[in-house]
Amino acid sequence: MLTIPEQTHNIIEGWIQPRSRVLDLGCGDGTLLNDLIEKKQVDGIGVEISQDMIVKCLGKGISVYQADIDRGLSQWDELSFDYVVLNATLQVIHRPVSVINEMLRVGRCAVISVSNFGYWENRVRILLKGCITNEMRLTGSWHDTPVIRFVCLSEFRSFLYDMGVEVLDARFFLPFDIAVMKTRTPLDNLLVKEAIFMLGRGK
Amino acid sequence: MENIVETSILHIDRPFRLESGEMLPGLDIAYEAYGKLNEARDNAILIEHALSGNSHAAFYHKGETKPGWWDVMIGPGKAFDTDKYFVICSNVISGCNGTTGPSSVNPATGMPYALTFPPVTMRDMVEVQRLLLGHLGIERLKSIVGGSMGGMQTMQFFCDYPSIFDSFICIASTMRHSAQQIAFNEVGRRAIMADPRWNGGNYYNEVPPEGGLSVARMIGHITYISEKMMQEKFGRLRKGKDSKAVFRPSFEVEHYLDYQGISFVRRFDANSYLYITSAIDNFDLVSSISGTTRFRGDNRARGKGLDTLRKKKGLVISFTSDWLYPSQQAQDIVRFFSGLNVRVSYTEIETDHGHDAFLTDYVQVSVMVKSFLDSLS
Repeated sequence: MLTIPEQTHNIIEGWIQPRSRVLDLGCGDGTLLNDLIEKKQVDGIGVEISQDMIVKCLGKGISVYQADIDRGLSQWDELSFDYVVLNATLQVIHRPVSVINEMLRVGRCAVISVSNFGYWENRVRILLKGCITNEMRLTGSWHDTPVIRFVCLSEFRSFLYDMGVEVLDARFFLPFDIAVMKTRTPLDNLLVKEAIFMLGRGK
Repeated sequence: MENIVETSILHIDRPFRLESGEMLPGLDIAYEAYGKLNEARDNAILIEHALSGNSHAAFYHKGETKPGWWDVMIGPGKAFDTDKYFVICSNVISGCNGTTGPSSVNPATGMPYALTFPPVTMRDMVEVQRLLLGHLGIERLKSIVGGSMGGMQTMQFFCDYPSIFDSFICIASTMRHSAQQIAFNEVGRRAIMADPRWNGGNYYNEVPPEGGLSVARMIGHITYISEKMMQEKFGRLRKGKDSKAVFRPSFEVEHYLDYQGISFVRRFDANSYLYITSAIDNFDLVSSISGTTRFRGDNRARGKGLDTLRKKKGLVISFTSDWLYPSQQAQDIVRFFSGLNVRVSYTEIETDHGHDAFLTDYVQVSVMVKSFLDSLS
């Protein structure tokens, strides 16, 4: 059984058209981009803030641009990319509205993964511990974690609706890391662990 | 045993035509090379020096205690690994370290050229190096790299001859000088020309305009380091207060600049400073490659042939505290080359060392360069 990050990679790979132009925001060590370049022959570039990650990307031969994505994507013109990816990065973004707007300015589609804070395990953790635990934070303690955005699936969906963006496709990870294409029940917030959306510019 | 190197001189006995149309009857090119050219002759890396640099980029000259100016980057196991690469560096035309310049003797008159030396452009600097590459039998290079003015030559060369380079590395540089950058250079030039010893450029049999040139260098040095670094290094510290004369340098920073100025005049020619800074100010990459006229040979890009740059690789590096060539200018370089479909990477290194970081912060630069070069092969 593949882990959620592995499945997410596969889903993104499935969505992205061969030989398209891809911008990966918060590309880390470039694993996803590298896969996309090898398997889909995309013309890809990563954006990273960390010098160590930049070195890793360069070592893989990936083009990478050091920048803070919260400060905008002014380096790129409108529609410079077919896809702009924000995978496992939303939780550290300070200005999600402007980042998503920027993604849909420079790209035709935006791919965004979201971890659902309302997932039942998180609720149990809070109930038992009375606080946000390190597992929920992914890394660090309350005072030094870069993870500052805790969002529920329902909140995120209504946020997308308010922003007027169009959901072109989505996958949801249920317990046991099973991925499904559609869920629209009142229990979403309880049962979905993570979700990944492909967004378009709306009408 | 340290690595020992000697500067070689290539004599060109044919006339050399400059971009301005003026001719030089012949030309010397001073260069050094480190490492070995492989059998496929494709492991060469060309190093481009900055305003006050020279061809002595690495290793030691016999009997010297100080190595070349970028020795921290060039050598066995270093960023430009001489166990793998054949590294070449030459002195620019109009310089004063072995390559023909205003202080060289004009064979027609038997006197130094002085201001009869023709004006020089970044493209002329590049063309001279092409003669050198031809002489060395190198038709393809792994990379071309330079910081500051070296970055300008790098970009010019890469765009003029897109087919011969696999990649470029441009550090702390710009595609064109801003008004402020031109202004700083102009003050330096005026300082030289205001020195009576400059004498319209004819000083080669007299005492050179040391006062003017050292002031030019002092101004330069202020722009090469950051305000923060200057403050931390010198603050308001004083030394040598016992001097009776008024207006003697008493602040540490004054002594520092004084020292920089004096040590510079011992090794640099004032007229070369005028020619090279003018070439820098006149440099404008975009307009130089978008002109319609063709100049010397059909290999020249001039806007055409630029599509061969597609999928080539570039690495652009800037430094957070470099206020001479701020990061925005580096980002413009990335934008420009990305537009030509070059696969450009960009990193901004956090440092307090200002523009000089391209020489001092070699640890971070090395890590980037090494990763980048390793991925090319």
